Amino acid sequence: MELLCLGLNHRTAPVEVRERFAVGTKKLGATAHELVAMTGGSEALVISTCNRTEFYLVAPDARLACSRLETHLAEKTQLDAGVAAHFYRLERSAAARHLCRVVSGLDSMLLGETEIFGQVKQAYQAALEAGATAAVLNRLFQRAFGVGKKVRTETSIQQGSTSVGNVAVDLAEKIFGHLKDSEVMILGAGEMSRITAQSLVSRGARSIFVANRSFDRAQELAIEMGGCAVRFDEWQKVLERVDVVISSTGCPFPIVHPADVEQARHARKFRPLFFIDIAVPRDIDPAVGDIEEVYLYDIDTLEQLADQARGSRQLQIEECERIIDTELAKFNLLGTRPEGR
Amino acid sequence: MDHWLLTAATLLALLGSVRGMLAVHRGRRSRSTVIWMAAAMACQIGFLTIRGELRGVCPLKDNGEILVFLAWSLTLFYLLIGPAYRISLLGVFTAPVVVVFQAIALLPGVLETTPQKITGGNPWHEMHSATSVLAYGALALAAVAGVMFLVLDRQLKEHHLQSGLFRGLPPVRELLVSLGRLLWLGSGLLSLGILAGFLMPHDKTAGGHLIAGHLLAALAVWLGYVVLLAVKSVRGLTGRRLSLLTVGWFILSLGVFAFV
Repeated sequence: MELLCLGLNHRTAPVEVRERFAVGTKKLGATAHELVAMTGGSEALVISTCNRTEFYLVAPDARLACSRLETHLAEKTQLDAGVAAHFYRLERSAAARHLCRVVSGLDSMLLGETEIFGQVKQAYQAALEAGATAAVLNRLFQRAFGVGKKVRTETSIQQGSTSVGNVAVDLAEKIFGHLKDSEVMILGAGEMSRITAQSLVSRGARSIFVANRSFDRAQELAIEMGGCAVRFDEWQKVLERVDVVISSTGCPFPIVHPADVEQARHARKFRPLFFIDIAVPRDIDPAVGDIEEVYLYDIDTLEQLADQARGSRQLQIEECERIIDTELAKFNLLGTRPEGR
Repeated sequence: MDHWLLTAATLLALLGSVRGMLAVHRGRRSRSTVIWMAAAMACQIGFLTIRGELRGVCPLKDNGEILVFLAWSLTLFYLLIGPAYRISLLGVFTAPVVVVFQAIALLPGVLETTPQKITGGNPWHEMHSATSVLAYGALALAAVAGVMFLVLDRQLKEHHLQSGLFRGLPPVRELLVSLGRLLWLGSGLLSLGILAGFLMPHDKTAGGHLIAGHLLAALAVWLGYVVLLAVKSVRGLTGRRLSLLTVGWFILSLGVFAFV
């Protein structure tokens, strides 16, 4: 029995090709079952995410099964023969190694991301429930999940946030812990403010206040977020109760000055206050950051932190690959041994 | 035997401290610190039990015993608060303080080698000594939480967020809440200790003025903490000022032991 992986991802195929091969989450099990019968193999599994679609097969003759699968896919998607160039074909240990890299987040667009682990688990569960997996794939995927966990715990491949929004949310959690007791104010109803505020809400922020020069736009965004609109000349009053301020107005000069914060300090009883300034030019006077209980982060600092995290993840790749190779060498999995063994 | 137990307690706390620091340096949680500290506490209890039996009263009769009791109290509050609030790093900050207290106690002449049995002990006196030292344990841990806040505050202010220490430190708000609770607990226990101190019989013939002196010093310490808590509750204080005052006042308050 031989293991085979046929797939395409964000590096090998553009989105217009990837979308033709995408398989819905609910159809993963049925498709895997269908592949077993269609390719003459004994086991099959399909992974489909926004960045990749991969077919794992176990068959007595991997090449024959692969060619049947390719013919089937070409017929199904009605794409020209050129589409074959977008696929990668990996056999035996190379396929097992690739799976471990995928599960560990090394093959992801965002290096080290964690979502892929859950997506592969979901695909495996679907194939298992559809009866499309047996000894080889069961063992391979269980081992791959173990290797993925080991890579993530023994290296810092998933440490730090790699996007500005996530850096801001992580910082908010470092200051306030659980955000369920935190209130947020958005100054300026721009796209970046909306995305960052949404991340805070998704992590439990209690309430959102939106202040914008156009009150209609503030109301619109407040409704979308389940928050409250505030007239722009009243944001100083709201400052007394909020914990996080996200500012992204198009104003050419600073709108938050130390005096505004000083005025609110006594009413706030000097509680910590987190300012996220994602506007260019900056909305918040840098002198605001000198106030003792204020933590001020502007767009450059947030981007720099995201860059540092990306850089530190890159440095971990070699160590991750070493762990994968060591672990795979231990397993000697069925279907992954070199020919003749 | 008591010296061996104290040495073992010091070495265990030192081990917890070193392992914790190494874990922090590698950017990981120091899960084992709580185990080393629990083992250290078992040895501290052994030491205090032996000394208590030798003394026939609560073992707080020389500077060494006071230091070990203080270290035990600090360890106790860490074990109660650290794991419950998932502040594993609290142990990494607490263990070195425990090591310092116990190492000083181990210095020649600090602990009486042949402790004398005390006869005619008074329950108010026992309660005064025990609750006061327990209070100091809670207040010492509040100071440790204050140091942790100051470290985190500086890193957040200066945008130095890549260290393992930063990742391991609990959130600002949780640290400040823990610090506040420890201050309340310590001040409450100190109130009991001082009350018991005034109720215990005072020996007028042998240094009665000294007893009054240490009680007055303790009263001043208590007053300081009461004012700190009152200002924090009524007016509010920035985290930095609260932490600096907690650490500073605790260091000053250790001066009370000079009068004991």
